[in-house]
Order: sequence, then C-alpha cells, then structure tokens
Amino acid sequence: MRKAITIALTVTALAVPSVNAWASATAQKTIPKKKVVVATKSFTGTPGSADRWGNVQVTIVVKKTTTTVVKTKKVTVLRRITNVAVPVFPNHTDRSIFINQQALPYLVQETLQAQSTGINMVSGATYTSQGFVQSLQSAILSAKAW
Amino acid sequence: MGMPVVLDVRDADVGGDVLDRVFDWLRFVDATFSTYKDDSEISRINRGELELGDADETVREVLDRCEELRQETGGYFDVRAPLPGLVDPSGLVKGWAVDRAGAILDEAGARNYAVNAGGDMVLRGGALPDACWRVGIQHPLIRDRVAKVVEANHLAVATSGAYERGEHVVDPHTAAPPAGVLSVTITGPELATADAYATAAFAMGEAGPNWTARLPSGYAAMTILADERVLSTPAFPAP
Repeated sequence: MRKAITIALTVTALAVPSVNAWASATAQKTIPKKKVVVATKSFTGTPGSADRWGNVQVTIVVKKTTTTVVKTKKVTVLRRITNVAVPVFPNHTDRSIFINQQALPYLVQETLQAQSTGINMVSGATYTSQGFVQSLQSAILSAKAW
Repeated sequence: MGMPVVLDVRDADVGGDVLDRVFDWLRFVDATFSTYKDDSEISRINRGELELGDADETVREVLDRCEELRQETGGYFDVRAPLPGLVDPSGLVKGWAVDRAGAILDEAGARNYAVNAGGDMVLRGGALPDACWRVGIQHPLIRDRVAKVVEANHLAVATSGAYERGEHVVDPHTAAPPAGVLSVTITGPELATADAYATAAFAMGEAGPNWTARLPSGYAAMTILADERVLSTPAFPAP
C-alpha cells in the first residue's frame, strides 16, 4: 500500500452536477432564454505503458453541453464521459493450440485463445491496469481542453 | 494496496459527492490496513503496540474472514504465511474494500457501475449505453491480448496469475511459486471471497482446477494451465 490509492478517476469527474443544476435552476427563474449546444467527441489517450509487453490504449466518448444565457452571455460548459472503451487489442493473432485430451467430467476444457475485441476492463494484470489509467488520464486531459 | 482504483459510474444522476464518499472510504481502508504505513492499525498490531481487541471493528472483521478463508481453502489462502508471526491481510482487504465501495454506490442509488482495483473488479448493471460490462481476462502469455471475454450485469471478477509484476503468490505450504498453472479467474457475488479463492486455487497449482470444481454456489472458475489448456467450471460465464 506504499503509494496509497493514487488515482481517483471517475466517469462523472469532469462534470460538476450540483453546480450546474444550480446554475440552470437560477437561469430558468430569472432569464428564460438559453441556447444549449450539445456535441459529442471521442478522445483516445496516449498509449499507457504495460512494461516491455506493449501498450494499453483507452478511448473515451465525451458529451459536451454548452449552455449560453442569451441576455448575460454567461456560458456554462458541462463535460461528461459517456463511454470508455479499451481498443487495446487491434489485431487478431490466434495462437491457440489444440490439445486433444478428454476433459474432466466436471470441468469444461477449452484451448487458450488470444482474443481481440471491444472490452470495458481487463481482469488479471496490474501492469495493464496501470497502463489503462495512464491512457485514461491523458484522454481526460485532452477532453478538458476541448 | 499500491494500485490504481478506477471507479466507472455510468448513472447520470449520481453526483460527485457520492464518488467522494467512495474514495474517502478507500483512503480510510488504506490508512487502517496498509503494511507500508507505520501508523496503520495493522503495522501497530504487528509491532505489538495494538491489541486485536482494541483495533477498529473493521480490522477484526477482516482478520476473522481471513481465518475462515484459510480454513476453507485448506491453508492455501493464508495471510500469516508470508511473514511468520505477522499478519498482512492485503490479500483480502483489496476485494473487501471494493465490495464495500459497491455497497456505498448501491445505497446512493447507482445501478450501472464498475469498481476496478488493479484488475479485480465488481460490476453492476451495464457500461451504458451498453447493456452489460465486457471484461477481458488477461492472456497470460500475450500481454496485449485477452484469453476470454466475460459479459456480466452483476458480478465480481478476480484473477491471480504469474505475472512479472504485482502480487507473487506462493504455496504457503512450501513457500515456492506454484507449478503448472498460469492464471486462475474466479467469478462470483463477492469480490473479497472470489479474490481469496483465486489466490488459493492458483497456489494449489495443477490441483487447483479440481478444487474449484467444488466451489460454493454462485462462484465459478477458469484456470489456464501451463500447457495452455483452459479448464472452466460449467457455471463460468460465457459471453
């Protein structure tokens, strides 16, 4: 536990829901005219290092809601991550080896496969998780600049 | 724990205060259980400065559960084994803390979320707009591939493996790394238990799959053996 809990990333981290709720409520009472623009954009993080084995890359989809109060020209921007994907496995390399052996009756036997497919998370490797967080961080930073 | 915790909450109506509460909880767990912090309760217990009876209620709860799991796994999950005379419940604390983090989110009304602590995770609902969570099980030989994909709406997933970094599991009976097995993934309702089962089954080596065939109801296992055979219990979730 040396580094404690180092990363606190959340899907709603970019949004400030309470502040925005308050802002819109206030706006509705006093100045009803608002212009709302909603845009969606994808951000792919820089590849996060997973040691010498390669990289992990994360893509986030961010919905940006820009609210402009017509009279005061006050602009409120709300960014919310609406999806996180791990396009880490772009190439399919099937190196599974077929082993012809009777499966135990209470266990299902398969052969090891290398899959490449859209997934949300990876179970079982600290280095992958660290790379995931690195890449996610950089994607969030890009989205904040949008 | 020394690992990143990723909290992925997809419910638009869950506020930032809820997420702050979850991270406050995780910081409390770290401050109480860390063996790297001199003033944690675990460090003080190990130095003989704190009696178990005077420790925080959560410390006793965790150590009691560790002992239950040690017995249930025939000694293969043993938090006292690495350092004789000392306790290091880190192997259970991570999953247990994530289970509790999930409970905080449940109480706050979150329905679609994932809490992922270093590759062990609790999943609820779906990765909206997707209807479920898709979790890749790390391929033990090809580091940028997954060996299997699990789709779930309500599940804990824990994997123990012989990776270059991270926890190094040894057979508590021999203090040697297990032979013949590359990784064990356990799914089930509770992450703390799934994680302990994964650690134990991995430490058993080639005997692990037979042991996992008798897991309690709700838990399932997938073992990847060194000869690249994959043995799953029938209940192991398929996509």
